[in-house]
Amino acid sequence: MDIITSYGTILIALAIIFGLYMTWGIGANDLANAMGTSVGAGAVTVKQAIGIAIVFEFLGAVIAGGHVTATIRKGIIDPTNIIDSPEILVYGMLASLLAAAFWLMIASTRGWPVSTTHSIIGALIGFAIVGIGPEAVKWDKVLKVVASWVISPAIGGTISFLLVISTRKLILNTDNPLKNAKKYAPMYIFMVGFIISLVTLFKGLKHLQIEFTAAESFGVAILFGMLTSGIGWYFVRNIREDINGDREFHYTSVEKVFTPMMLFTACAMAFAHGSNDVANGIGPLAAVISIVSSGGEVMQKSELPLWILVLGGCGIVLGLVTLGYRVMLTVGKRITELTPSRGFCAELAAATTVVLASRTGLPVSTTHILVGAVLGVGMARGIGALDLRVVGNIILSWLVTLPAGAIMAMLFFFTLKGIFG
Amino acid sequence: MPIKSTSPLSKLLRKSPFKPIQEHMRLVFNCICTLAPLFEALFEKDNEKVLEAAQQIGELESEADQIKNTFRLNMPTTLLLPVDRKDLLGLMADQDRLCDICEEIGKILSYRTMEVPQALKSLIDELLEGTIEVSGEAKRMIEELDELVEVGFGGGKEVEKVNKIIQGVRKSEHNLDAILNRTRKALFAIEAELNPVDVVFWYRIIELVGDISNQAENIGDRLLLFLSR
Repeated sequence: MDIITSYGTILIALAIIFGLYMTWGIGANDLANAMGTSVGAGAVTVKQAIGIAIVFEFLGAVIAGGHVTATIRKGIIDPTNIIDSPEILVYGMLASLLAAAFWLMIASTRGWPVSTTHSIIGALIGFAIVGIGPEAVKWDKVLKVVASWVISPAIGGTISFLLVISTRKLILNTDNPLKNAKKYAPMYIFMVGFIISLVTLFKGLKHLQIEFTAAESFGVAILFGMLTSGIGWYFVRNIREDINGDREFHYTSVEKVFTPMMLFTACAMAFAHGSNDVANGIGPLAAVISIVSSGGEVMQKSELPLWILVLGGCGIVLGLVTLGYRVMLTVGKRITELTPSRGFCAELAAATTVVLASRTGLPVSTTHILVGAVLGVGMARGIGALDLRVVGNIILSWLVTLPAGAIMAMLFFFTLKGIFG
Repeated sequence: MPIKSTSPLSKLLRKSPFKPIQEHMRLVFNCICTLAPLFEALFEKDNEKVLEAAQQIGELESEADQIKNTFRLNMPTTLLLPVDRKDLLGLMADQDRLCDICEEIGKILSYRTMEVPQALKSLIDELLEGTIEVSGEAKRMIEELDELVEVGFGGGKEVEKVNKIIQGVRKSEHNLDAILNRTRKALFAIEAELNPVDVVFWYRIIELVGDISNQAENIGDRLLLFLSR
């Protein structure tokens, strides 16, 4: 109890610094990766991608980031055994943040396919085992989260597979693909707005004091869908046949219709990322602030203050504009094989899956889900060549990241404990 | 701080293997088209021009060979492709064979000073014209590969179009077979008047030219396999 009261300000300051460091790292790499696909497909420029990311990452974090934050903050660790020494949990949360951020930085300098989500979960487990005891880890919940890491890319892949098939049936394999593309584009864009807003708004947003019944949520989602659809129609209405381009590649004009469509999935991706990955940085931060400000209440009954979500959004945006734009540029340059029609399907599938996971409070990896979605496109015979070795690398990165995050969290935990006593 | 992307996407998305196949086929077609100036020079008994054309074929062949080798090196078994990997490798081998045939013809004509019998001249012209036409159709077929990827190799107008080209190749190959037979007969009729070794080589050249259209037909069959998966 004494430690919390005497070092409260320092602990909160440390939590904010570590939280900003972590979110900065997420913005510099993770978000940049998520937006790189749209840049690579030529749907948006890097500047536009940054603009979209700033707005929608923020919206995603503030509107839909609460559930995953709650999971990271109090879903993984059961603190009943340390009710009398809340400082342990504070050190642990700080150590986990630092460990995850540090591991992320190492991975970033090496280009390893490491996920921020896996780092923070590994770190939390690592701290809990040594700081409290193995029984303090809510293993059933951890198991659910780990299962979601396998299931979510599969869901993303299935959705994108079906989307690719639908674009073929409705647009590409028809007698007049361009006409049909322009005809169905508003419908697909409607789906982007409708699905994302429905999943997000379903039964309301408690932390923003918005209450909806199921029917009302549907109504609002339809309105959102129609709004995006209208904007989309405005973009595609004037696309004309590109006769020269079509001679080289017969579907040049059709792909041009999908390009503005990807603008919407780029927004959806940023929103989805904000709703899920910001929590990796601010979940532990929220825990520290809750414990310290309540004077040592480890059960964290207080609601998540909105300013923490905003702070997380700020950190991510900061990371994006300081280093992320360069990552986005390189990713965009390398990912050119994904044409707008495929990129649209993959991004819509990934964004939908991530938002669904956010709603359920499951911390997932946006990048891995995007990989799953791209594989779905490949399964539909839609891409020239995909290298499946990457799947092995990803699984390897899980196996390395969990213990790496855990061990680093243990080290940082004992260091902090040694400093503050 | 040197920061690298942690995204596995750029490693996941490989360069499309259909692009090098198309590039290769363009070179192959150039190779086959060079047979026309080669034989023209032969008709004109211009040895220098014959050598020149043969050399050009050789250069095109080695350029195509390079594409083929890079292509093969970039086809690990871990790839997820819209078509069977073995069929894709087979397609490249088929195309490669076309170059080899042209090179072989060029070589024969450059180390052996051959005189064209009058009775064969118009038939050889006809044969070459037909061969170039069939090869052109095969090339058109290959040029449709990226469109086929776009539509996922199944159904619709695009597949119909490719099917039509494949049928066209078959028909042309069949027509060419008739010309080949006429050429063989014409050669047989004048056999006695020619140097026996020349006769052997003329038969060989006729067979080689005939192989080109057969091989073009094989390429069509490969594409049918892609469509039927």
